[in-house]
Amino acid sequence: MSSSAVMRTEKLQKVYRTGATETPALRGVDLELEEREFTATAGPSGSGKSTLLHLLGGLDRPTDGEIYLDGRAMSGLSKDELARLRLTRIGFVFQAYNLIPVLTVVENTAFVLELQGIPYRERIRRARAILAELRVDKYADQFPNRLSGGEQQRVAVARAVVSDPAIVLADEPTANLDTKTSLDLIDLMRRMNEEHETTFLFATHDTRLLDRVDRVIHLEDGRIARDERVR
Amino acid sequence: MKVALRHLVRNRRRTLLTLLAVLIPVYFLVFMFGFANANLRDMFETATRFDTGHAQIRAVPTKATGSAIPLMRDPSDALAALAEVKEIEWWTVRLDLPAMASVGERSRTIYVRGIVPEEVDPVSGLADRIVAGESLATGTGGVVVGEELALLLKLEVGDEIVLLGAHPEAALGAIRAPVVGVYRAPEAALGRTVIYADLSTARQLARSETAATAIVLRVAGVTGPGDQTALDRAVNDLRANLPAGYEVQDWLELVPMVATYMGILTPALLIVGAIFFALGGLVVLNTIYLSVLERTRELGLILALGAARRRVVRMILAEAGAIAVAGAVGGAVTGVGLILVVEAFGGIPLWGAAAQMMREIGMSPVLHLSANFVQVALSTASMTAVAVLAAWWPARRASRLEPMEAMRYVE
Repeated sequence: MSSSAVMRTEKLQKVYRTGATETPALRGVDLELEEREFTATAGPSGSGKSTLLHLLGGLDRPTDGEIYLDGRAMSGLSKDELARLRLTRIGFVFQAYNLIPVLTVVENTAFVLELQGIPYRERIRRARAILAELRVDKYADQFPNRLSGGEQQRVAVARAVVSDPAIVLADEPTANLDTKTSLDLIDLMRRMNEEHETTFLFATHDTRLLDRVDRVIHLEDGRIARDERVR
Repeated sequence: MKVALRHLVRNRRRTLLTLLAVLIPVYFLVFMFGFANANLRDMFETATRFDTGHAQIRAVPTKATGSAIPLMRDPSDALAALAEVKEIEWWTVRLDLPAMASVGERSRTIYVRGIVPEEVDPVSGLADRIVAGESLATGTGGVVVGEELALLLKLEVGDEIVLLGAHPEAALGAIRAPVVGVYRAPEAALGRTVIYADLSTARQLARSETAATAIVLRVAGVTGPGDQTALDRAVNDLRANLPAGYEVQDWLELVPMVATYMGILTPALLIVGAIFFALGGLVVLNTIYLSVLERTRELGLILALGAARRRVVRMILAEAGAIAVAGAVGGAVTGVGLILVVEAFGGIPLWGAAAQMMREIGMSPVLHLSANFVQVALSTASMTAVAVLAAWWPARRASRLEPMEAMRYVE
């Protein structure tokens, strides 16, 4: 493992079991994500992109193999320890239903900081600052249902980076957006990556986004088919 | 907490219904306890002021005489012992004699109650209950009769009544006494059976100058049925000081019906209260469960972001707690408020047969209510606790959701 790797996997496997039926989703993935890297994982539906992100994010456990975050193995962690890890070291952007509907935009952004126990004034200050960077500060006091899909995803990105995590994992963040909005969102994520020096890994099946990243990991049938440096 | 409160505001109708499910049991219990408190106080006041006192010293009955109320030939030694007990704030000697009352061709078995009017009136208010004629006074030789008895014997003020004393431990004595007044008894049975005479007149019927059947007494600091401990202490002190041949009975022993009523009332109210609490708790459980179900994806997101499971439990319990506290306090305020309003208007007057029935059993025909702080606080706290406990299961279920499964949940 290189000294600048934020996250690393070893022979990562995931098999879903439904009764007697076994469906392998990942079949031994070895991967290293470097600090400040802006990486996409691409592949057709069912290739294992989302499964990989969920395992890396500690939202699910691998059937076999190991994941290291900051050099620390995740397999031995309890549910509560995994939750703590997600809270402090990992930012998430999901495909949909990203925001808590009863909280305003600024409250949604500050929610992770609240969970971390940051005092009210400090977390609101930081949330407003990041919303301004992502150009959604004018919606700060509105509820999410007043925002478009693209604006909601920008707020989700703001929430993901506001606590300065080691890595942001985004699971098909542009899946429900039109092309222009998708490109805008990826550009904003890229800006966050560069300005905050945060490592990003996002899953997509939209090839138009791939020329904006440093590296593309192509997944097919649960395996890395190709790992290419774009920049 | 903010998320919990915002959800309550967002689902206003459901919140309101749940609030009512918590409010109504507390309101009901506060109101019912208020009614029971006033009822018991009414019984206590009537019994202890007009009939039994807080306690009585009586002679120990001997089987041979067959007397229900044994005669004390000379209670001076008991009176001397009484002076040694500092808790006793008031006492009076009384002579209750079974007797036959006769007027013209009508007669009826009654009790002649010999009292010292000047001692008894300030406590019993007998003088204030005179509805015709005059109140009783020492040395006049007259008697006052109840309205009911006056009606039965067709008596009027100024008529003469023949009384024949028939206590099994006393010689037969007979007197002719003028009816100086008619009183309204708090209980119809008393008005039908008790004729008041001054103590010396009653003693003529027992053909004794010192006879008595009871020393009626009141204990300092005893102001209601809840002061039984103070009363028990005084009664025990008194028992320790009395010479042999006497016993002390408190008002509950003298009016066992009230003791039975008291024994039934509180458990009955608690059982009904528990049923209401359980129903309220079920409504809260249902509401919180539905709320958790509806918010499965949101809870999944919160867990995915890294919220600790205990935080999710706290969030759901905060939601239930907010409803519970608001509902329970609302119920208490409404209940106490209604009690205050009713009492500001002098209670709820009964009329007709209901009023008559209340008088028959010695209760006021005006229903009063009385709030007790401890009962109100306990009712409020109990319902709050039940509601929060009811939310525990859905809260625990919410905290155990798998984040990604929950986020994929479709209603």
